[in-house]
Amino acid sequence: MKLRTGIVIAVLVVVLAVVLAACSQAAPQVIEKTVVVTQVVEKEVEKEVVATPTPEAKPYEGVEVNIVTFTGPQIAEPLQRRAPDFEAMTGAKINIITVPFSDLYTKILTDAATGTNSFDAWVFAPQWMVDYILPGYMEDLTDRVANDPQIEWDDIAPFFRDFSASYNGKIYTIPLDGDFHMGYYRSDLIDSPPKTWDEYLEIAKKFQGQDLNGDGDPDFGSCVSMKRGAQAYWFIHTIAAPYIQSKGTSQGVFFNTKDMEPLVNNAAFSKALDIYNEMKDYGPPDSLNLDVGDTRALFTSGRCALSIDWGDIGTLAIDPDTSVVADKTGAMIAPGSTEVLNWDTGELVPCSEGDNCPYAVDGVNHAPYAAFGGWSGGVNAAADPKVKDAAYAFFSYMSAPAQSNEDVTIGITGFNPYRQSQFLNRELWVKAGMSPDFASNYLGAIEDSLNSPNMVLDLRIPQNQKYQQVILDTAVSQFMAGEISKEDAMKQIYDGWQELTDELGRDDQLAAYKGTLGQK
Amino acid sequence: MSVKSKLFKRKNINAPSPIAKIISYTILVIWTFVVLFPLYWLAITSLKHPIDVNSGPYYIPFVDFQPSLYAWQYVLFGDLQNDTIRPYINTVIVALTSATLALILGASAAYALTRFRYNPKLGTILLFIGALLLDVVLTMVGVNWAIALAVAVAVFLILMQVLAKRFHRSLGNNDIAFWLISQRMLPPVAVVIPIYILFQRLHLLDTRTALIVTYLAVNLPIVVWLMRDYFQSIPIDLEETAAIDGASRYRIFLSIVLPLSVPGLVATFLFVLVFAWNEYLLALFLSGANAQTLPLTIAAQNATRGPQWWYMSVLILIMIAPVILIAIFLERYIAKGLLVGAVKG
Amino acid sequence: MEPTRQETATSTSATNKPKPTRKRPFSGKEGMASSVFIWPALLVVLLLSIFPLLVSLYLSFSRFKFVKGGFEVKWIGLLNYKKLLFGSEKTHFLGKMEQPTTLGWIIFIGITVLLIVTLIHYYRSDRRSTGGLIFRAIVYAILIAFAWLLVITTFSQGGRPGTMVVTWIYVFVGIVIQYAVALLLAVILTQQLPGRRFFRVIFLLPMMITPVGVAYLFRMLTDTGKGPFAPLWQAAGLGMYSWVNDPWGARIAIIIGDAWQWIPFMFIVLLAALEGQSMEQREAALVDGANRWQIFWNITMPQIIPVTITVVLIRMIEAFKIVDLPNVLTNGGPGTATESLTLHAYFSWRALDLGGSAAIAYSLLIVVTFFGIAYINILRRRFVEE
Repeated sequence: MKLRTGIVIAVLVVVLAVVLAACSQAAPQVIEKTVVVTQVVEKEVEKEVVATPTPEAKPYEGVEVNIVTFTGPQIAEPLQRRAPDFEAMTGAKINIITVPFSDLYTKILTDAATGTNSFDAWVFAPQWMVDYILPGYMEDLTDRVANDPQIEWDDIAPFFRDFSASYNGKIYTIPLDGDFHMGYYRSDLIDSPPKTWDEYLEIAKKFQGQDLNGDGDPDFGSCVSMKRGAQAYWFIHTIAAPYIQSKGTSQGVFFNTKDMEPLVNNAAFSKALDIYNEMKDYGPPDSLNLDVGDTRALFTSGRCALSIDWGDIGTLAIDPDTSVVADKTGAMIAPGSTEVLNWDTGELVPCSEGDNCPYAVDGVNHAPYAAFGGWSGGVNAAADPKVKDAAYAFFSYMSAPAQSNEDVTIGITGFNPYRQSQFLNRELWVKAGMSPDFASNYLGAIEDSLNSPNMVLDLRIPQNQKYQQVILDTAVSQFMAGEISKEDAMKQIYDGWQELTDELGRDDQLAAYKGTLGQK
Repeated sequence: MSVKSKLFKRKNINAPSPIAKIISYTILVIWTFVVLFPLYWLAITSLKHPIDVNSGPYYIPFVDFQPSLYAWQYVLFGDLQNDTIRPYINTVIVALTSATLALILGASAAYALTRFRYNPKLGTILLFIGALLLDVVLTMVGVNWAIALAVAVAVFLILMQVLAKRFHRSLGNNDIAFWLISQRMLPPVAVVIPIYILFQRLHLLDTRTALIVTYLAVNLPIVVWLMRDYFQSIPIDLEETAAIDGASRYRIFLSIVLPLSVPGLVATFLFVLVFAWNEYLLALFLSGANAQTLPLTIAAQNATRGPQWWYMSVLILIMIAPVILIAIFLERYIAKGLLVGAVKG
Repeated sequence: MEPTRQETATSTSATNKPKPTRKRPFSGKEGMASSVFIWPALLVVLLLSIFPLLVSLYLSFSRFKFVKGGFEVKWIGLLNYKKLLFGSEKTHFLGKMEQPTTLGWIIFIGITVLLIVTLIHYYRSDRRSTGGLIFRAIVYAILIAFAWLLVITTFSQGGRPGTMVVTWIYVFVGIVIQYAVALLLAVILTQQLPGRRFFRVIFLLPMMITPVGVAYLFRMLTDTGKGPFAPLWQAAGLGMYSWVNDPWGARIAIIIGDAWQWIPFMFIVLLAALEGQSMEQREAALVDGANRWQIFWNITMPQIIPVTITVVLIRMIEAFKIVDLPNVLTNGGPGTATESLTLHAYFSWRALDLGGSAAIAYSLLIVVTFFGIAYINILRRRFVEE
C-alpha cells in the first residue's frame, strides 16, 4: 500500500518535472543574449535619428515598451500623459507599469537579475545605476545621445550631464528631473537668508516657539526630516558636504579616493552631527518621526521658518490646495560653511578662496548635495533592439525642452528643473502661478546650486543602499535618538563601511567610486 | 429532554443579571468606540482637502471643515482609476478563490489528522529532505533544475527501497500538524525571492494563479490548525453510527462533520479570506501590471510627497467595504452554528 | 503513510499516546480515504514551502552579488550568523548588554525560580519520563538564557534591547493584552444580550483592514501635531513631548496598534469556541449551585483551552513576524528602539543583502520554532492530549 502510493507520487513528480522543463527555458542563456544584443545597437541608432524629425514615418509601429516607475501621481503622470502623443508620432506603444516607491529598487533589480526582463526601461534614481551597470543590465546610451539633436544635451545642466547621467565617461541615463537639496525660508519673516549652517541654527533658534501662521499655537524654527528609514541619511550629508568637499564635484564626500577610507571619522562629520542634532531642538517635538512628506506639509501650512528640501517645496508652495505660504516663501542655496576639512589631518581649517576652497563665495564654501539625483530614464540592455530604440526615443522626447520645460512647472509631475533653459526662462513659471518675485528667487537658488562646480554627487557605488540606508542611516538615527554617543556613531559608520567595502572588494569599490566621480 | 426545555435552560445560563448587563454594555460601548473611532477618522479624512488634514485636527464635517469628494473623485474616476479598479477585481478573485481552496483542502486535512493515524517513517522524511537538498545543491551548481529534480527523485526512491526499512522510529499526527504550522514561521521576506524565482521558471509571474497558489499554501496551515480543534470537539459517536449504517468516509465528512462545524468553518474562512485580501509583500513581487492587488495601491500612496492621507483613507474604506459585507452575511451562519452546537449534545 | 486505527498499531507507536481505543466500525476502505483527505494539502505545502525554505537556508550561508549577466551566490559559511551574534551587528541584533538593575535581578530570579519549580513539579508527577525530563531541562536552560538576555539588555543600566529582544516584547506583551481583552469581549458576547450581533460584526472590523493600512491609520492617529488626539495631548501639557522620542512610548504605540488589529482574531475564535461548548455540564453545575465565576473557571475554561492554545500559538507565530506597523509608524526608530526582527531582515533585504537578511530570518525561525515546540510540548500535550 505504502510503496504503491510512494511510486505513484514519484511518477507524478517526475511527469511534472518533465512538463515544467519542457515549457521553461534554461536560465543561463540570459548571458549570451546580453552579448548579442549590444552588437546590434549602432545601426539601429541611425535609423532612429533619421526617423524622429519626420513623425509621419512612424518608425516604431507595432513596438511595445514596458516602462516601470513608482506609483505616482508624480513622475508617472507626465509619462502616462505624453505616451499617447508619442504613440501617435512614432507608433510605439508605451505601457507605464507602477510599483510602490519603497520597493522599486529591489523590484527592478530582481527583474533584471533573474532574467525575467518584464521591464524594457526604467524611470528610476540614477543613484542606483552602478548596481545595474556593472552586471551589464543597462544599455550604454552614449552614441544615441551623440546622434540625437532633439534632446539638446548641452542644455542640460553640466552636473546632470557629466556626473549624474554618466558613469566612467559613458552616458547611461536620460535625466527627466533634477534633484538636489536646497533651503527654504519664510520671506515674510526673514530678510537675509542664512549663508552658513551656523546662521541657519541662529535663525531657527530665534523663531522656535513663535506663532508663525497666526493660529495662536507656537510654531517651529526649522523643519527638517529626521525619520529613520526615510531621508535622514541624505540630510546628514547635506550638512556635512560644505565642510568636507571644497575642490569640486570630483572630490566627493564619502570616501577618500586614495584608499577608500570613509570620510566619517573626522571633525567635519562630527560637526555635521552636532548641527543636525541641534536642529532637533528648533523643530517640532516629533522631528525624529517626520519624513519629507511631513515637513513639506508643515512648511506649506505655515508652521516653519526654515526648511531644507528638494525642489518640491517650490511647486507645492504655489499650489492653493496645499499651501498658505504661496507669497511668503523664499528659496536659497543650501547653507555652506566658513571652515573646510583638511583631508590629511582630519581637522577643520578656515576656508580661504585662493587655497583650499577655490569655489567659495564671500568666504563661504557651498556644496549643494544632489541627493537621490533626480528621476532618470534607463534602458534595459536585454530588451529587443527595436524596443530599446523606442524606449530611448521616448525618454529623449520626454526630456526635450519642448516637453520638459512645461512639465517642470507643473507641481503634479514631480519634475524639478535640470536644464539651463528651465531656470533662465522665468515666464513659464509665472504662467504656472508663481509670483515674479518668488520665481526669480526660486530659480535663482536653483541656478546657484546647479551652476556650482562644487555640487556633491550622491553615493553610487554597488550596494550604496546598504552603505547609506542601512549602516549610515541606522547610526545617525541611533545618535539622534540618544542611543549612542557621537563618537560611537562615527565609529559605527566607519567600521560598518570598512567591513562592507572589504566584503565587496576594496579595489572594485574604489574603482567604481572613482568611476562615478569621473576620476581615472 | 426536549429541545424546547433545553433552549429554556440555556437562556437561564446565558441571560445576565441587571448589574452584569450594565457592566457588559459599558465595556461593549467603550470597545465599540475604540474600534469605530479610527474608522470614523478614516472616513472624515477621506472627505478632507489636503490643507484640512495638514492644518488639522478637524473632527466634524460641515462644522469644522467643508467636506469634499475630491479624494473619492480622484481614486474612483480620476488619475488613480487605473490603479484602483483592476487591482480591486484582482483582489476579489484572488482572495475568494484562495480562501475557498484553502478551506476545502485544509478542512479535509484537519479531519484526516483528527480521525486517522499517520505514521510517516522518520527515515523516509530524512531521505526526502536529503533528496531535496541534493536537488537544490545541484540547481545551484548549475545543473538544469528539471534534471536535478529527476535525479533527486530517483535517488530518493532508490534509497527509500534500500534504507527505509531499517528505520523504525516514526512520527505521528502531531508532528505533521506542527510541521504544517511551522511553515508559517519564516517571515515572507525570507521566502519571497525563492518564490519569485519559482514562479518565474513556471512562467506564472504576474498572474492571478501565482497569487492564488501562494496564498493557498500560506494559509493552509492556519485552516488545518483551527479546524483540527473544531473536529476534535465533535463527538465521534455520530460518525460511528453512520459508518455502521454503511456510509463512506467521504459521505460522513460531507454530511455529518462539515454541517456540525459550520461556526468554525465560517470563522476560519473569514481569516484566510482576510489574510489573502490584505497580503502585501508576496503580492508586490509576484505581480506586475496585470495582477496587482489593492494593498499595493494603498502602500503606493506614500511616495515622494509623503503619505497622501486622503487617498489612502478612500482606498482603505473601499477595500474593507466588501469584507464587512461578507462578515455581516457570514455572521448569521455563526449564529446558526450556535444552534447546531446547542442541539448536538 | 498508513492509517492505523487498528488497535495493534496504536499501542506500538512510541511518540504518540494512543487515542482512546474504541470499537472501530470503519471498514478497510479507510486506507484510500486517509490519503485522499490529507495529501492535497500536504502536497501544496510541500511544493511551495520546502523549496523556498531550503533556498533561504542556503542564502543565509552565502553572499549575494550581482555579476555580469545575472547574479552570483557565494558560499561564506557561518559568516552572516557570526556577524549577528558576535560581529558588527551584535548590538543591533541582540542589544547592548550591561549590568542588570535591581528590578532586572528580581525578574531574572523570578523567572528562573518559576522554571525550576515547574521542572521539579514535573519530576514528581507520574507523567515523568527520562526523555521528557531531558527535553524539559534543555528547554528551560534555553529559556533561562533568553531571560538573562532580556534582563541584561532591557532591565539594565545603560543597556538597550536589540531587534531580537524587542520582538519578544512585542510578542509576549502583545499576546497577553490581546488574549485578555478578546476573552473578556467574547465572554460578554456569549450572553443573551440584545444587539450582540451588531457588536460582533463591529468588533471584527479592525482585522479586515490591510496591515499596511492599519499602520498608516495609526500614524495618523498618533500624530501629536495634527492627529485627533493632539488637543488632548496639548491639554495634558505634553505639547512639546512626543511619544516618538521615547523608546518605550514608541514601542507602546506599536503594541497598541497591533492589539487593535489582532484582538478581533482572538475574539472570534474564542467566541466560536465558547459558543461551541456543551451546555450540559454548565447546566448541571448551575443546578448544583455553582456561581458564575466557578462555572467559568472550572467548566468553561477547560473546554476552551485547546482553542486557546491553538489561537495563542498562531498569534505567536504571526506576531513574531510583525513588520508593517513599526515600518510605517516609526521605521524602527527612534534609533533602533522599535525595530522588529522581520523589519531588521527587511531593511537588509531592501539593500539586497539577501544573505544577511536570510540569516536574520533563519534566526527568527529557530527562535519561533523553539518557542513553538516548547509551548506545544509543555502546554498542548498537557492540556489537550491527556
